[in-house]
Amino acid sequence: MRILWIEIRKILNGKILLLLCLANLLFYFLFIEHPATKVTQGRPWLDDFRIGAEMVQKYGSDMEEQKFADFKKTYEAQIKEADQYLQSRAEFATAGIRSYEDFVNVDQDNQEQWVLHDRVMFQEKVDMFWELQERKRLIEDWYDSRVAWLDRAAENAENTRQKARLKELKQAGHYQVYPGFILDHYKSFISCVAIAVVLSVVLTLSPIFIKDRLRPLLDLQYTTKKGRNLYKTKAAAGLISAFVVIVSVLIVYFGIYVGNINQNVLRGSNLSVFFQVPIHTFTGAYHWFDPTFLQYIVLTVMAVCVLGLVFALLAISFSSVMSNYVSLIGIQIPPVFAVLFFGLSYLVGDMIDIRVAQWAAPASYSLAVVASAAFLILMWRREKQRDIVL
Amino acid sequence: MSAMRVIFHECKKVFSSPLLIALIVLFSAFNLFIIWNESYRLDELKVANELAETYGLQITDKSLRQFEEDVKTDLAGLHGAPAPVDLQRKGMYLQMAKSIDSKYDEIDWNKIGEREVHKYKLSGSAAEILKKAYNKLSRRFEEIKETDEHKTWFFSGKPYRMYGFLFASLFRPIIFETLMLIVLATALITNYEFENKTCLVAYSTRRGRSLMKDKLAASLLTTAGIVTVILALTLGVYFAVFDYSHLWGSAISSAFNWEYSMDDLPYVSWWNLSFAEYLLCSILLLYVCMLLFSAISFAISVLVKNSYYTFFLFAAFFIIALLTPGFASVSSALIFITVHNLSVLCMNPHMWFMGNGGLTMFKNYELVTAGVWTVITSTLCLYALSRFKKQELY
Repeated sequence: MRILWIEIRKILNGKILLLLCLANLLFYFLFIEHPATKVTQGRPWLDDFRIGAEMVQKYGSDMEEQKFADFKKTYEAQIKEADQYLQSRAEFATAGIRSYEDFVNVDQDNQEQWVLHDRVMFQEKVDMFWELQERKRLIEDWYDSRVAWLDRAAENAENTRQKARLKELKQAGHYQVYPGFILDHYKSFISCVAIAVVLSVVLTLSPIFIKDRLRPLLDLQYTTKKGRNLYKTKAAAGLISAFVVIVSVLIVYFGIYVGNINQNVLRGSNLSVFFQVPIHTFTGAYHWFDPTFLQYIVLTVMAVCVLGLVFALLAISFSSVMSNYVSLIGIQIPPVFAVLFFGLSYLVGDMIDIRVAQWAAPASYSLAVVASAAFLILMWRREKQRDIVL
Repeated sequence: MSAMRVIFHECKKVFSSPLLIALIVLFSAFNLFIIWNESYRLDELKVANELAETYGLQITDKSLRQFEEDVKTDLAGLHGAPAPVDLQRKGMYLQMAKSIDSKYDEIDWNKIGEREVHKYKLSGSAAEILKKAYNKLSRRFEEIKETDEHKTWFFSGKPYRMYGFLFASLFRPIIFETLMLIVLATALITNYEFENKTCLVAYSTRRGRSLMKDKLAASLLTTAGIVTVILALTLGVYFAVFDYSHLWGSAISSAFNWEYSMDDLPYVSWWNLSFAEYLLCSILLLYVCMLLFSAISFAISVLVKNSYYTFFLFAAFFIIALLTPGFASVSSALIFITVHNLSVLCMNPHMWFMGNGGLTMFKNYELVTAGVWTVITSTLCLYALSRFKKQELY
């Protein structure tokens, strides 16, 4: 146990931790800041979130007829508010905009009207008008044609399994009504976090065996009582440190994500209002299963953890084989880049999306775990019999 | 002469790990895959070559009229039957050629400059600098229109995107692949003795610490070699697959070099370069950038003496240089100063020497960046070498 603890300290030493912090800082500014914080500041995404929170709080996990009637009433009440706002400001009356209808149908060539429209929407950023736009989109584009969307998707579906699933959704009455940006935003966020997790794990764990082998400490270590079993202890220490790294990286990024949503986006409520909403109510993609938002978050977080552990196993195995640092980095470049550039959408983002075959994600994960574990066990068997030549 | 032998042996060290050769092969295969993916359009691209061959490379009024007559005679000869695909494409090129003048007259670079200032939310001295640059571009554009530089045949940009494919979709992967390879190779050469525990022997010989200078020469040589191999393989296959036989002399600011983009503008180069000259300049700039990157990673590895950390510190340097313009205030000239770094330069190879580049559209952007960074890099290398000369080695 003591050796395990010492090995963990050797892996997570000062220099590597400093490099890890630097790397994650750069990852944050390079590709995580935008999905995590900046996107939600843009309009109409900000209003999508707020309206979504309001809808969930009032109507629960699904919106049936009478609840929708209530939503429409809110929309109409807000139109009246907008009318009053427009009438109370003198410049709109002179330009000929007397109600919300006029405002929305403003003629692009009429310079005066367009300048006012621009001012209200983009410079002053009056909340009410953005929300009205979003509510209208949710009512007209999505709710009114929700059955039509499902039917059209079923018609254009590529194979019978997709059609069967869509029919299942229709029979259960699961139509898409809530703003889908909330789910899409989370998907893009978790994909970027997956990249950061994989790169952090590879960075931390690659030197695990190669450092002692190149020193050279192996002849000292293998003549002790523990002997070659030190390999197993190191591998275990590697997996534990990988887990520590994955969890800390996830905590930091999720903290930023949730903090941003709670502080800057939602007024008064927080992200947990969405947790019980089944993801089939969010507009956008269709999925094979019906988890709630919280269950989906847990699923993707577990997927990211498994991905991190797979790359940890690969890094540990390569570390015991490669003859120098350069080849160690070199041989990890193709798998890391292949997965991060081409496979990430199938593995993390669109994991249960209907456009990806249902067996794709579980099969690839199981294959990856089995293959990397088998690789490590093979390396252990090789290490047991290897001749150490000084 | 013994120095040459030492450099040669240092270069050989790169091949001690077969992995780098395997990576070169893998990367070249990937590049060939990218080319193969786009090769379904070979038939359609023949039209441009035919036109350049039959009517000459320059589109003069006379050749245009003759082209139009030929197309009319061909159409008449059909007697109502549907036109063959070849003739349709020729018709498309004819339409584009006839509308060059009107489309080019619609473009006002000064107004576009104002739009760009608004887009990047610049103010103060930054806005002034960008507006002045766009004024210069406007004058260059007038020059192009007067000398009819833009009236040469080329593959039509909007449907085929040949320029963007070569210089963006192909050059960018080449840049990143060679970057990774040269950082690894340089780190390998520089830290070879430290990692194999022969440093105490090697640096106490007669050649001694000057071995580091040989290592610098060796890494630069290896870099040039790696870039040559990958470029030769990729571009060789590219020009074997895509036929440019009559279009080598076509101006790079050709009116046909107009692709889909957010701004919908043609490519306007600052200098009057033909396609062959432009390709040569880009390749030269690529070599210079890669040699500079190699020298920077050499300096880092001399200071750090561990190839693992060298790789990640170099990656950190690259990313920091990329992120710095994002933190510069949009009202000062600082944003244009911070944009003059190698990482931003290498991100958009299709904007090299062009006036379309947004914040990097200055006439001498590439030359200034390369020049300044050559100075910075050589100072860094000299510092690293001088420090190494006096350092204690354990």
